[in-house]
Amino acid sequence: MSQSAVATSQAAPEICFDGVDLSLGGLEILKGIDLEIRRGEFICVIGPSGCGKTTMLRLIAGFHRATAGAVMHEGRAVNGPSPDIAIVFQDYGKALLPWRNAADNVALALEAMRVPKSQRADMITGFLGKVGLADHAQKFPSQMSGGMQQRLQIARALAQNPSVLLMDEPFGALDAMTRQTLQDECLNLVENMGTTVFFVTHDIEEAIYLGDRVVTLSPNPGRIADIHTVNLPRPRNQLTTREDPEFLRLRRVLFDFIQGH
Amino acid sequence: MKRASNFLWFLGSVGVFALLLFGWHLIAQSGMVSRVYLAPPDKAFAAITNGFTGPNGLGSSMWATVQRMLYGWVLASMVGIVLGSIIGISAIARIYLQPMLEFLRPLPASAIVPLAIAFFGLSESMVLFVIAFGSFWPVLLAAVQGVSSVEPRLYEVARALNMSRRETIWKIALPNALPDIFAGMRIGLAVALVLTVVGEFVGGQNGLGLEILRASRQFQAPRMFGGVILLGVIGYSCAVIISNVERYLMRWRASR
Repeated sequence: MSQSAVATSQAAPEICFDGVDLSLGGLEILKGIDLEIRRGEFICVIGPSGCGKTTMLRLIAGFHRATAGAVMHEGRAVNGPSPDIAIVFQDYGKALLPWRNAADNVALALEAMRVPKSQRADMITGFLGKVGLADHAQKFPSQMSGGMQQRLQIARALAQNPSVLLMDEPFGALDAMTRQTLQDECLNLVENMGTTVFFVTHDIEEAIYLGDRVVTLSPNPGRIADIHTVNLPRPRNQLTTREDPEFLRLRRVLFDFIQGH
Repeated sequence: MKRASNFLWFLGSVGVFALLLFGWHLIAQSGMVSRVYLAPPDKAFAAITNGFTGPNGLGSSMWATVQRMLYGWVLASMVGIVLGSIIGISAIARIYLQPMLEFLRPLPASAIVPLAIAFFGLSESMVLFVIAFGSFWPVLLAAVQGVSSVEPRLYEVARALNMSRRETIWKIALPNALPDIFAGMRIGLAVALVLTVVGEFVGGQNGLGLEILRASRQFQAPRMFGGVILLGVIGYSCAVIISNVERYLMRWRASR
């Protein structure tokens, strides 16, 4: 956890699930979800497929309304999407506008935020620089690799200047090397910006490596099985962190949990 | 490498064209068909070059035809894009309008000529209406298709950014439909050229259509063939222009 996050952790939680049930089309998806996420915290969610990980994320995003209970953002009930909460989808190929180049894709967020046109260019350069795409501003998504496209989607999310970043298996479709690079870049970015992250993944090691806490969900209906605090020092390191006995212990616990389903 | 092969393809197509001209020349020379009906290529081209300028020249007829075709096509495209977008976006509009559109769409545009004459008389407006009616359908259907086939994920992106409905249509639905709309407009332009000639035949409006009809009635085979060649030139030029504009606007798809 970063310094600023420690200082403000006494205030209202950034995100709070308070006895949340959700049914969609008569089907019970989530039941009795209670979870408080502190400001600046990195929360990872894992669980077998169909356990409602993505649905939890969509509740925070304001795409779904809780059937019972409430989802709160900074003390207020979430009742619709807000630019203060940004989403990075897994399918970058579908989430970017193929007819806009990298710079204009970032511009979409700034346009929606009503940033005056005169200020946009500098901000776009800044955000593209943060994700290492400064030299690719004029490229269209079809001219970029998967990793670059996902970086671009992260840049667009950051351009919203969000307090909460929702990431739905963002690195699931990338190759192992690119995935590790992006994990580290992502940790750096959100730590510097003090962003709260809700990160859905099906990769146990990724969850431990990134998270301050790892939430495990059980299916039918989706409910929180356990919450594990990750006592690993930051900054994390792809070699030493993954060799830490605590990392290996958590890996074993979470692996057994997933196997049990 | 690619350049060189492109150039070879181009040479090949020129060769085929020259071969056709030569065949035409041979048949005309052989006397199998009377000169009254079939002019040799050199005479046809001479009819174009000699009679191109001047108030009764083929040039002014060609210009009249091009203008009429473009007016009708632009009108059809504008109405088609606007209506198509509305239908594509609104599921309710689709339910109400689809059956009627499916009924009107397969009607051959030439079948509504008598109807158009009844309403507009043998006038310029009648011809324009027929052109616009015919080239409207491909644009409309393409716009409906393009606007209604937006990747649902993009609508979620728009929602997450709190974009207004207008912004969503303008920045997501319409650009998404652009490739389809272009394909529709390309077909619409071909239809417009056909209907322009039909309209000129029937409506007696000045233009290449009337020119060809008149030349054939007066047994001026070279002028008739000249007119047909010029129509081909119009069609070919339109195709080249539109595909270049398309390639520029759709450059984001180029490397796929």
